[in-house]
Amino acid sequence: MLRDITTKTLRDQGRAFAGWGVAIVLLVAMYVAIWPSMRDQPAMSDFIDQMPEAFRNLFATAGADMSTPVGYLQIELLSFMAPILVILYAVTAGSAAVAGEEGRRTLDLLVTAPVSRRRIVLEKTAAMVVGTVGLSALLGLALVVEGRFADMNLPVGDVAAAMLHLALLGLVFGGVALAVGCVTGQAGLSKGIAAVLAVVTYIVNGLGAMVSWLEPLQRYSPFYQYAAHDPLRHGVSWPAVVVALVTVVVLVVVAVLGFERRDVRS
Amino acid sequence: MGSVITAEGLTKAFGDTVALRDLTLEVESGEVFGYLGPNGAGKTTTLRLIMGLIRPTRGSVSVLGMDAWRDAVPIHARVGYVPGELVLYDRLTGYDHVDYLAALRGSARPARVEQLAEQLDLDLRRPARELSRGNRQKVALVLALMNEPELLVLDEPTGGLDPMVQRTVQGLILDHAAGGGAVLLSSHVLGEVQRVASRIGVLRAGRLVAVERLDDLRAKSLHHVEVQFADTVPAAILDPVPDLRDVVVDGPSLRCSAPQSSLDAVLKVVSAHPVVDFACAEAELEETFLAYYGAGETDAA
Repeated sequence: MLRDITTKTLRDQGRAFAGWGVAIVLLVAMYVAIWPSMRDQPAMSDFIDQMPEAFRNLFATAGADMSTPVGYLQIELLSFMAPILVILYAVTAGSAAVAGEEGRRTLDLLVTAPVSRRRIVLEKTAAMVVGTVGLSALLGLALVVEGRFADMNLPVGDVAAAMLHLALLGLVFGGVALAVGCVTGQAGLSKGIAAVLAVVTYIVNGLGAMVSWLEPLQRYSPFYQYAAHDPLRHGVSWPAVVVALVTVVVLVVVAVLGFERRDVRS
Repeated sequence: MGSVITAEGLTKAFGDTVALRDLTLEVESGEVFGYLGPNGAGKTTTLRLIMGLIRPTRGSVSVLGMDAWRDAVPIHARVGYVPGELVLYDRLTGYDHVDYLAALRGSARPARVEQLAEQLDLDLRRPARELSRGNRQKVALVLALMNEPELLVLDEPTGGLDPMVQRTVQGLILDHAAGGGAVLLSSHVLGEVQRVASRIGVLRAGRLVAVERLDDLRAKSLHHVEVQFADTVPAAILDPVPDLRDVVVDGPSLRCSAPQSSLDAVLKVVSAHPVVDFACAEAELEETFLAYYGAGETDAA
């Protein structure tokens, strides 16, 4: 388990992974358990329909139908809770990658080993990608398997598509934390900037449809790429995948160049 | 004997603070170079420049003929480093550290590890968070030495070690140099380096103020002279003798510190007066060092 930086980093997260896994399985179980009572309450859909449009856009995906399993999950889980979980994980991993080790001073061990700084950043990035994709996959698996118990009959392909977009959403903000951490060496700052950016782009996406001056910005929000095309019903949006991937790649390049050019803090 | 470290006009500023100014220095293979100075003088900055952790503001430093910043990776394959403010991975054991850093070099656990652990009396099976500062220091030494590097860069490597283990470490350092390797050894006290170093450099406020062979320093070594005369002697009795320090003449008693080269002149002056008692003892090298290179600014005491 100590063959390279990637496996070492994933091993370090071992216990945290277990925690995240349990949290995800329980969270999905909770949503699945509530589903039958929701389904039998048509008033719920009316309630959502009657919400002010701003609220509906912020806390639910527009157009989702609460009376179907897919619409219910879209509103209850994928609009808010799942992105928070995955972004939280990815940002933590991205920030810990270089800035976190630097803050704890263990980075000296790595940088003075015969390993290039580029390789350190790339292997750390690989660990973040594996972790984020793993958690998203676990969430998807939990949805499909646990959904069976409540006869939700979720379309497996579309769940996979939604999880792909979810993982990419996490990686965009994880990439921000990674890049800021690599350029500045400050773990706190990198988490802070990524979190603020996540909140701002979430609001821009939610309100973009209604606030005219936000509308041109909406398309640039990672949340727009994540959910605007409603992946649980329409599958993968390849343009959205490309946009997210390019964003992540650019952020990783910034991280490498930033880290290669600066002093390791003491 | 080739030059292993060559610094030329090496300067490092952090913002407005110049931590190291125009350092020019050579360390050769087979040599143990003691790098001395008070905390904050720029020792750690120098070592971090050599290890490519930080980038020079001006000037350059080359290690094994390669640029310390640009060619950090090939250099690190041939250098062992013990950082000053050492931190290990809390949850990893000594063996985990060994295996991880060996894997990063593309090798299996080096055979030398067991031997080093035995010499240092170190249990590599325990996680780092359970180790005392001294034992963590030993793990760092194993990590630095296990790949038989050509150069050792050691930032206060014996801090936190008991005197017995300090001896062992000094033995390892001497073996390394005897095998043709070079060592750059920083410390804020001469005592830690005087048994092993062949040359010392003295750093103060970011400037290298002296480089001296330890043998030359020993030749300058001070002697404490105390004389009790039968009668009061003139206060200026020792004025004709050069290179004396701390001269105190108080009625019939006299005290001073004299380098070996001045002892003859002191004796001749003293013997012109009736003497009741006379004592002369060689000072610790540390004291000689401090007398020449500034006690006031050193936290060595």
